[in-house]
Amino acid sequence: MESPPKMTIAGKDPQESGGVVQPAMREERLFLLLSIFIGIISGLLVVSFRMAIEWLSVLLLGSAPAPHQVRLLIAPTVAGIVIALLTRFVFPQVRGSGVNQTKAALYIHNGYISIKTMIGKFLLSALAIGSGHSLGPEDPSLQIGAGVASKIGRSVGLSRERLRMLAPVGAAAGLAAAFNAPISAILFVIEEVIGQWTAGVLGSIVLSAVSAVVVARWFWGAQPMFRIPSVTLRDPRELLAYAVLGVVGGVASLFFAKALGYLRPKLRGQPQWFQMMQPALAGSLVGGIGYFGLPYVMGAGYGAIDQAMHGQFAFKMLLLLAVFKIIATTLSFSSGTPGGMFAPTLFTGAMLGAAVGSFENHIFPHLTGSVGSYALVGMGVLFAAFLRAPLTSVFMVLEVSGNYSIILPVILANTIAYLISRSLQPVPIFEVFTHQDGLYLPSMEEEREDSHLRFEDALLPVSAPILQGSETIWNSMKIVGQHKEIADAPAVLVQCKDGAWYAAKQQELQTIFAGIGNDSSHAEAGLTLEERLGPERTPLMFPDQMLSSALPYFRRWPLIPVSNRAMRGALEGVLSLEDVLNRYQRQ
Amino acid sequence: MDLRNTDEGTHKSLEQPLNSSLSLVRRKLVLRDTLTFLTLSLVVVALYAVTSFLFRSFEAHREALAVRWASRGEVLLKNGKPDQAVSALRTSLSFAPDDRPRQMLLAAALAESNRIDEASNYFLNLWESQPGDGFINLQLARLARRKANTSQAIDYYRAAIFGSWPGDAITRRRDARLELSDFLIQTGDLASARAELLVAARNAPETLDMDIGFGDRLLQAHDPSDALFYYQKGIARDPRNLTALGKAAQLTYDTGQYALASSLAFRAARLEPATVAEESTRTALKTIAANSERLLDLSLERDLSPRKRTEHLLTASSIARKRIESCIAANTGNQTTVPPELISLKNSWTEASSKLTRRTLEEDEVTQNRLTQLIDDTEIQTAPVCGPPTGDDALLLLLANRRHTAAQ
Repeated sequence: MESPPKMTIAGKDPQESGGVVQPAMREERLFLLLSIFIGIISGLLVVSFRMAIEWLSVLLLGSAPAPHQVRLLIAPTVAGIVIALLTRFVFPQVRGSGVNQTKAALYIHNGYISIKTMIGKFLLSALAIGSGHSLGPEDPSLQIGAGVASKIGRSVGLSRERLRMLAPVGAAAGLAAAFNAPISAILFVIEEVIGQWTAGVLGSIVLSAVSAVVVARWFWGAQPMFRIPSVTLRDPRELLAYAVLGVVGGVASLFFAKALGYLRPKLRGQPQWFQMMQPALAGSLVGGIGYFGLPYVMGAGYGAIDQAMHGQFAFKMLLLLAVFKIIATTLSFSSGTPGGMFAPTLFTGAMLGAAVGSFENHIFPHLTGSVGSYALVGMGVLFAAFLRAPLTSVFMVLEVSGNYSIILPVILANTIAYLISRSLQPVPIFEVFTHQDGLYLPSMEEEREDSHLRFEDALLPVSAPILQGSETIWNSMKIVGQHKEIADAPAVLVQCKDGAWYAAKQQELQTIFAGIGNDSSHAEAGLTLEERLGPERTPLMFPDQMLSSALPYFRRWPLIPVSNRAMRGALEGVLSLEDVLNRYQRQ
Repeated sequence: MDLRNTDEGTHKSLEQPLNSSLSLVRRKLVLRDTLTFLTLSLVVVALYAVTSFLFRSFEAHREALAVRWASRGEVLLKNGKPDQAVSALRTSLSFAPDDRPRQMLLAAALAESNRIDEASNYFLNLWESQPGDGFINLQLARLARRKANTSQAIDYYRAAIFGSWPGDAITRRRDARLELSDFLIQTGDLASARAELLVAARNAPETLDMDIGFGDRLLQAHDPSDALFYYQKGIARDPRNLTALGKAAQLTYDTGQYALASSLAFRAARLEPATVAEESTRTALKTIAANSERLLDLSLERDLSPRKRTEHLLTASSIARKRIESCIAANTGNQTTVPPELISLKNSWTEASSKLTRRTLEEDEVTQNRLTQLIDDTEIQTAPVCGPPTGDDALLLLLANRRHTAAQ
């Protein structure tokens, strides 16, 4: 009942004709099937990517990296030289995390990501992370997935619009496989890449993410990434302790963002020869941090996160790790070494969380939350505050731990951290990077918060004259003749049966009246007005609908009557094109 | 009408080639899509084969590393280097994170290296996936005990007792219950400890060692009667067991059952000692036997016949009088003043002696009781002034203290 009546009179489904599938319908079906293939192929590639990282890590850093091992200095430095050469001469598009590149593919390059970029991202990110650069594998996985989708879409010959929408489908698959967390991946792509819940692409994103996770779990197993004991909040006051963590996370994310926002453009503004040296220099500095006592900050750092969750670091060590991880990641990322920000963000959050947990358990031993639960909440906190994906951050924590008992502390702490970060650093970090790169991609955070005008914002009381559709044309003509204000009105509303309305132009009415002239015995004089107007009716609109959705209807109708949702046929007001434009101009 | 017929004819003549070209397009599209998905399927199969091959090799390599580091950790743990074992086992688990025995080993190494919180967290994680595992609960109980978290320790001990144990579950559960009872004794919750011990004892195998062990623990839990029951059960099982006889004799002697103590001690003392330790036990038991005999002669209990009690009172009076006199004399010889309570006692003895005859004593229970009290007071009050008594005085003091404690 709520859907507007069809504007088309054609009886046939516009998508099908004579049993032949039209291109749009074919593409839609193809799109869904392709999503599954994209998910499977992305999943397989991400599994290989993770294998490559771990293999390189053992090969370059040894099976048990420890302080004072010279290879900790050599491996990231030499890898930095190789990465710089390959980035300069072979894969120039692989710098950065992968999130912005995927967004750029979606909004600028019509979904195009070259196969060369995908291969480069795979190889160089694996080498960077495996050699100890403080970066993560998730964002490159996201871009690898998007690259797979782009390549498949181009090979199949999809339309430009479909090709563009295929990039986020692949991105969700890549991220889901890397995180082993389909819901987080779907939410992140919607929150950060597409920016809106679009029914058309949501099904494909879900299919690809699920396919990718099935593949990843086939190889790695279905167990969650981190396991912590259940959190039992015996005393609601303990939430205050998590709130403190939210504040700490919010402030820490500010430092992290400021450091990256400052150093990255500085290094990119250096001469070319110096830019070539930057990955090696960053590698040697990160290696130095590892060599002189903190090898945990090297690479993605998931092992150290696990240890922090099990309370295996002392308070001071946790703080040191958080601080040096921020420094190491800032160096690695700003030097242009390809790799992601997710893992370092989670690492820093986990260390801060565990530090806050250790401190609070020491001061208030009656608190029931374990250090692991604080570390887990800390991961979500920094994810929400630094990457500005509050919804994803909540689900990410639940998915990577498989522990629902943590939900309340996570929501509270993440919200606090997100609000603090927003107020202290209004521009999200990914947007900072795009601006530094000279791109202007849409900010999903801003888009989410855009206020959209609705009918009720422009609605005016009914001032147009109303005629009853059940009146005969003869009687209607008499009524119009007797009332000058009706005859002078540019448009008249005709109330039809079943609560429908017809907004008629004055000219349209006068043409009908002229047809019967002054002859009451004319064949049409006895017809009711609504019979004469035909089956078409003005679309049924309601006050809460988007104002922009009215615009197409003004081509056909002089007025849009806006109905009450509870009382069929009762009018809340009317809108004219002029009213709508005036309202937009006042905004 | 004609015009309409002409139109329809034209339409039909146009529709036929259009339909055939549309179905051709359709066939082409179907073929193309089929080929696309066939190609994609082949890509998936090829990629899967390559990934699987690499993954198997990768997993084998990781497993080899995990085994190497785990065995290194095990050796280090055995050699008493738990700190180094922890890092080796952690490295091992980074390559095979779900290996349960190695997780247990790491948790145990953490506990051994006194990283109690880390070990607790680690075991808690393991507990999360297997809350009914007896071993994990027992380890958590021990860690909670080390953290002085009594209630948590008891909860985990109980979970360990009722938890699942692979293999010899009955023995493990009994051991856990005995450990819990030891902990309860340590915390002073003797009633709960006794309850746990009695449950454990009823489900324990019938062996001499078990009987003696339960006797010892029940004694620690301040339950001498049940302890004696288990010692006697042990003696019944092996009447020539010096340990059981000795412990039972000592217990009965300490609880004032001198007749039984004497009998048990004599039985034990008659046994041939096999070791030097047994020889010293036998010597001690001989003393217990002799003391018990003498204590029976000096007993002033009311359940004795009046005649016997009178005889014992007269013997004890003579000993106690000598004790007060020698004590006063010893203090008078020095330059210190004799404490007034001794003077008072001496006066009481003088007064009592003037009225005391065997007949009056035998016939008057009140006088018997008064004299008993005077003997007890003499032994108790002279001890701090004149030093610990020896011989019969020591035995009288023992009886006096026992009566004093019972009266309280």
